[in-house]
Amino acid sequence: MMNDEDRENIVLIQRMASRDTKALDAFYDRYNRLVFSLVLKIIRTREDAEDIVVDVFWQVWQQSFRYDASRGKPLAWLLTIARTRAIDGLRSIRRQPSQSPAASEPEDRQMNSLHEMPADPGVLADTRQAVRKALNELPDQQRIPLEMAYFEGMTHTEIAEVLNQPLGTMKDRIRNGMLHLKQQLKAYL
Amino acid sequence: MKHLELTGELQESASFYAAGAMPEDERRRYERHLSEDGCDICRSEVLAFQSAIHSLALNLPEQNPAPVAKMRLMAQAELSASRSGLESRRQRRGTEWLAWLISAASTAALIAIVVVNSNLRQSVNSLTSRVAELESQMLGQRTTLALFTSPQVRVIDLAGQGTTPGAAARVFWNVREKRLLFYVSDLPPVSNDRTYQLWFVPKNGQPVSASVFNTSSDGSAMADIPVPANLGDLKATAVTTEPAGGVPQPTGSFVLLGSI
Repeated sequence: MMNDEDRENIVLIQRMASRDTKALDAFYDRYNRLVFSLVLKIIRTREDAEDIVVDVFWQVWQQSFRYDASRGKPLAWLLTIARTRAIDGLRSIRRQPSQSPAASEPEDRQMNSLHEMPADPGVLADTRQAVRKALNELPDQQRIPLEMAYFEGMTHTEIAEVLNQPLGTMKDRIRNGMLHLKQQLKAYL
Repeated sequence: MKHLELTGELQESASFYAAGAMPEDERRRYERHLSEDGCDICRSEVLAFQSAIHSLALNLPEQNPAPVAKMRLMAQAELSASRSGLESRRQRRGTEWLAWLISAASTAALIAIVVVNSNLRQSVNSLTSRVAELESQMLGQRTTLALFTSPQVRVIDLAGQGTTPGAAARVFWNVREKRLLFYVSDLPPVSNDRTYQLWFVPKNGQPVSASVFNTSSDGSAMADIPVPANLGDLKATAVTTEPAGGVPQPTGSFVLLGSI
């Protein structure tokens, strides 16, 4: 179900489709921190994350005329683009042997902590509260595989291997975790 | 293949795909199913799971990218928008040109229609004239038919003479109206320096020239001849061969002769 924020976003996307840069400016101001946080969580280095953020909003700008509200809400569309781009970037970095994400992690974590701030209470306030509640209710054995898939781009087979669990068990946990989130958040997302 | 109802297996696939936990080859097959099969049930389930999994992003502490990121993005967008505006103006010019072309084509079509209309009017006028002409001819022929089928008509047969024994002619003479129809057949045409001449032969006095004619290649001819008002009773009609243009009195031999 669409809320006011969804409707405002759709208007912004429509304005972007008619090449209104002010709409892109507003959309960026509204979601750049959320997108950057997600991308940084995945890619781990600020410089790469900022490049990807630019790419994400550029893709939104370029594909705004293709956006179909019947195929999902604007925020889900934006975050899908962001996650896909970030996971692609992560895989690209992993293919380069000279740069190990693990090696740069301490510096990045330190940098990140300097910029961390509470989420903007004006944007998605109710949703964030519901999300926190839903995730708090999620058992670690379901939450951890979901985070490994979502933030690390790992398949259920890879997760099962890393966590040393049978594949069937891991599939059950992922599916049950997803069903829990879907059930708890369907009124918000 | 489109699915008709949501099953546990379909729900599981949708959840793995949305979480990003599906292996590469399986993911590609599933994306083909979503896009090519147009399976609304699976697509709807994927959207619901995608919204749910993005909750992980919403739970992250927010961080600010460097301001230069926005500057880069907006610079790109401004450039793109200005190019788009230029392209739009080009397209508009193209549209204006197209409008001009359509207008010119419409004018040409209108001219063509006017010309065709004019030609059609000319054809109609011509056909109307032709119909009037044919009606007039038909009226004349009806009149002629009435004239020569009335009880006042006398029929005179002329027989071939001399060198043209096979020739024949028939005269329909309306005494009251003083009109005469003359039909001839099997009379060979004469050369250009000669002519056939039809004569009224009164009971009293000299023959009177009625008409000069030549036959067509099949030996036939027809003539509608007014009879002079002062002509008395006839005793015969005859055809002679004469010099071209005819003569006041017969000089040549008879080729056709019919007594009354």
